[in-house]
Formats: sequence, C-alpha cells, structure tokens
Amino acid sequence: MNSAVFEIGKFARLTLLWLCIIFGAVWGVSWSIGVLLPAVILSQSGESGRFWAQLLQALVPVVAVALFVPLNTCYMVLAERRLLALFTVRKGPNRVGPDGAFQTVADALKLLLKEEITPRGADLLMYTLAPVIFFAPSIIGVMPLLAAVSGNHPLFTPVNLPTGVFYILAVSSIPVVGVVMGGWASNNKYSLVGALRSAAQAISYEIPLLLSIITVCLLAGTLDFVQIADNQRGSLLNWNILGGGALTHLGIGSPWWSIAAALLLAACCILLFALYVICACAEVNRTPFDLPEAESELVSGFNTEYSGIKFAIFFLAEYTNLFIVSTFAAVMFLGGGHAPFPGLEDACISGLRGLLAAWFGACTPFQLGWLVNSLVNPATVSQVFWIIVKSYALVWFASLIRATLPRLRIDQLMDYSWKRLVPLALILLIAVTFLKELV
Amino acid sequence: MESLNLLTALAHVNVEQGFFYVLAAIAIPLAYGVVFDRNVIRSGFLLIGVFATIAGLFFLLQAQFLGLSQILIYGVGITLVIVIALMLTNARQETGMNPALPANVGLASFVSVLVFTTIYLSLRSAEDWPLKNESSLSLPPNIEMIGKHLMTYYALPFEFASILLLAALVGAVMLSKAEPASLANAGDEAEQAVDGTDRV
Repeated sequence: MNSAVFEIGKFARLTLLWLCIIFGAVWGVSWSIGVLLPAVILSQSGESGRFWAQLLQALVPVVAVALFVPLNTCYMVLAERRLLALFTVRKGPNRVGPDGAFQTVADALKLLLKEEITPRGADLLMYTLAPVIFFAPSIIGVMPLLAAVSGNHPLFTPVNLPTGVFYILAVSSIPVVGVVMGGWASNNKYSLVGALRSAAQAISYEIPLLLSIITVCLLAGTLDFVQIADNQRGSLLNWNILGGGALTHLGIGSPWWSIAAALLLAACCILLFALYVICACAEVNRTPFDLPEAESELVSGFNTEYSGIKFAIFFLAEYTNLFIVSTFAAVMFLGGGHAPFPGLEDACISGLRGLLAAWFGACTPFQLGWLVNSLVNPATVSQVFWIIVKSYALVWFASLIRATLPRLRIDQLMDYSWKRLVPLALILLIAVTFLKELV
Repeated sequence: MESLNLLTALAHVNVEQGFFYVLAAIAIPLAYGVVFDRNVIRSGFLLIGVFATIAGLFFLLQAQFLGLSQILIYGVGITLVIVIALMLTNARQETGMNPALPANVGLASFVSVLVFTTIYLSLRSAEDWPLKNESSLSLPPNIEMIGKHLMTYYALPFEFASILLLAALVGAVMLSKAEPASLANAGDEAEQAVDGTDRV
C-alpha cells in the first residue's frame, strides 16, 4: 500500500515536471513571437513594421502547435508507460534522467537515428505519403480548439471558426486514408489486414461519434467552440455532461414535468458522454478497440513495415489524436476552461492578480511590470489550468482503460457499433431534442 | 482560413488568385493521374487528392461548409469505401489488362466529348459571369442558410440525391464483388456490404 502511494507521488512529480516543460515552452514561445517581437518591431520601425508584426502574430497558433505536439507526445508516452506499470504493480521506465523522466526523449532520439527500411515491392510514393497524411490532420485539426482552450485569447481568436466542431470532424476523418494507404503500400498481408480493419472500424464508429457530437451541438445551439465553452460557465451543473444548465433553471415552484425532464436530460447527457468516450477510444485505436494494431494477432497492424522516422510520425500522430479527443471532450462536455464550482474561478483569477501585484507591482521603472502583465494574464491562466486538468484526466482515464479491458474480436466490435451504439445514439438524439424543449 | 483572410487584407495583392492557380496546378495532374494510372487502387487514392484540392477551392470561395463536407463525404467517406471495395475484390489481377481496347476507344471518346460539351454549355452562360464587388466576408453565415434551404425548399432533391448515392454505392460493391453466390441473394445488398468489411 505504502509503495503504491510512493509510486503515485513519483508519477505526480514527473507529471508536474513535464507539464512545466511543455506549457512553459509553448507559453514562452507564443509570448515572444506574439507579444514581445511585434512590440519591438513596432517601436523600432513604426508603421512600416505593422505588416511583419501582424504576420508574426498570425504565426503564433502554428508555432505553438508545432512545439506542443512533440513535447506533449513525449510526456504522454512516458505517462502511459508509468501508469501501466502502476496498474500492473511494476516499476516502469526509471533510468534515464531523474526517475526516468527523459526516457521518451531518448526513445525519440533513437527512433530518429534508426535506419529507414522500405520493403521490396512497396509502392514508394504511397508508402512515404501515408505517415504524412496520417499526421497532418492532427496538426491542422487542433487549430479551432486553441481559442476555446486559451479562453479566447486575442492571439488565438483568429483560428476560431464559427463552424469549428464541423471542421474538426471533417479533418479528423482524414487519418483513415493514411492508415489504408500505408497498409496497402507496405506490400504486407498483416499491414493490409490491419488497414482494412482500421477503415471498417473507423467508418463504423464515426457514425455514433458524429451523432453524439451533433446532439451536444443541438443542446448548445452552436458549432462554435468558444460559445460552447462559454455556455457552460458557472458551475458543474452548467456543464453539458449534466444537461447544459437544465438543472440550474429548476426552482422550488417549477412544475413536476419540468423537473422530470431536467433530470432525464441530465441522465441522457451522461449516457451521451459515455457514448462519446467509447467511440473516441475506437476512433483513435485505443485498447478495447485496438484491432488495427493488435500486436498478438497482426504483428503491429498497418505500421508493421514502418521504421525510423516514419514510424515515429505514426506514433506521434496517434498520441496527439488521443490528446485531441480528450481536449474535445473537455470543451464539449466538461465545461471547457471553467471551474467546477461557483466562485472558484474568480478566486483563482483574483488570487493570481493579487500575487502579481504584490511581486511585480513595484517594478514599473524598468518596464518589467508591462512585461509581466503581458506575459501572465490571470483569466487565461485560470482557463488553461482547468483545461489541462480535465484533458489530462481523460488521457489518464484512457490509460486506465487500457490496463483494464481486454481487446474485442472484430465481429464483436462491429456488432457493438451497429447494433448497440448507433441505435443508442439515435435514441439519445431524439430524446435530447424533445427534453430540451420541455425543460 | 481566418489568418489567410488577414494576409489577403494585408498584402493587397491577388493572393486568392495565386492560391487558385496553385490548387489548380495540383488538382489537374492528380485528375490526369486518376485516369491514366494503371493501378486502380492508386488512382483511387489520387481521387482523394483531387477532392481535397477541390475542397481547397471551396475554402478560397469562403464556402467553408461545402469545403468541409467535400472532405468528409467525398474525400474520405465515399472514395475510401470504393478503394476498400476494390482492395477486397481481386483488383490486383486486373492491373495487367490493357484498358484501351480499340473497340472501346470510339465509344469512350464519344461519351466523354458528349459529357464535356454538356457540362461546358451548361456552365457557360450567354453573358459573362455575374461578378459582385462586395466582399464575401460580409455575407451572412452560409452554414445557416444552407441548413434552412436544405430542410425547406430543397428537401425533396436532397433526399433523392442521398438515395441515388446509396444505390450507386451498393451497386458498385455488388458489381465488383464477382462472387456468383452473392448474385443469388441480391435482395440483401446492404448486408453484403457490411459483411464484406466484416470478414476482414
């Protein structure tokens, strides 16, 4: 018992270290490109530098994502290995760096230096393009989420789209093409079977996934991530997982059918969240549904023949996709960047503001005050903090599921989607439509 | 896309036109590849590329909904299903076939000329294209307009189009399956389609 607590403590330390590295780096770079450099350019060259300043600011989302993805994957792989070790009472990687903290960095370096092998008879063009097509959507796909994640920070507002949800759904359907392409081009039976399984699985599970997301959009009345997140402001009861505020409208005097409808709506939304988590697991090929890369039956599925940097790209994309679906769930169901209890958010913001004023309030002569104020925006920090907590909680939950559940058989997988999840999703869609009007 | 607008507004040059030519320069060779590639599966993948570049054209025209559904439905959904159907059938054996049999060339060219002329004549109106000078950014959000029109004025054509697509897809699977047994119970096409992926 004691050793388990000790291991959890070590995992927490490791997580803290890595989160500081990831978000410190992203934050610092975004700030220096989006705020510091434009300010310097504008003060040096005046109006003529305006174009370059705005160009730099427009580049911030791209640079932030490009920096975030590899660092985040390093952490997620490490966290997953440590968590699996924890769940199966092992030690996990603990040699490289302090307490194994840099194991995945070493792994990444090793992968980059490995020889790239192209199997005989492979379709070279398709073989090379497949990892790119698999990976590109996860970079492009996160863009509309950035604004909602950062609390509509001015630097990230331009990438917010009025049709953000639809955009992510369209973009996240692309990786299947990469999988089928890679599996077919490898000229390997196992790869082809893995790719075909993956395509069948992705097409089957996309339907309930889309239906569950459509239902949430219906509840929120918009496709805009920032608005969806803002609608859930307040407390736990306003989150979409509990019916998007249906419960808060209830008072002592409300009629019985209104109370019943609100409770039913909350129940439907919890089911909806479960549906989303199951389908998202299947979409990103996580364990109960990891048939495309089932090691014990298919060697490693569609990426059997890949080595070196191409394999690294597949790996990177897979973990990034897991993170994206987790963040997506955090924004759509779990209140985005809003705290679970009323008043907690304001307390965070005012506390941070007070700290800043106490520490740096007196530094104005050196313009340090301006620097700190532009670097640390208490409202943004609070939003990002809650998003980080919620997203990584879901990521760890996926690890827990991986350690717990056995893999499904392919016919069970298909039956489960077509005979259970699709009808459930349709019922929930209709139920939410009517209950929303009744509340 | 929004940052693209920003750059367009900033540079005051015809960035949109430039992007149009870039996309066209990608789309046309890909489309030729679809026709000329001997390998059916590879031309299927090239077709996905063609659809993706056409989605890019829609983005340039500020028709985001159209572009996204182009990717979601044509680029990934339909084309991928067709490619998989080809993989499941014995397409690899047919790569050695010579598609340009002399007897078919006359008929094929007649059909393609007819189709091209029809499309060209219907697209080319008597007067020039009506150009609007107002910025497309000031238009109402097109996703709402599309939703309203699809559910009211265009409801019937919308349903017909979906039935047509389904029938075409099922027909394609049936035709390319080449199993005598499947012809016997042709009433169950949809089941067959699911079974095909199931057995993988």
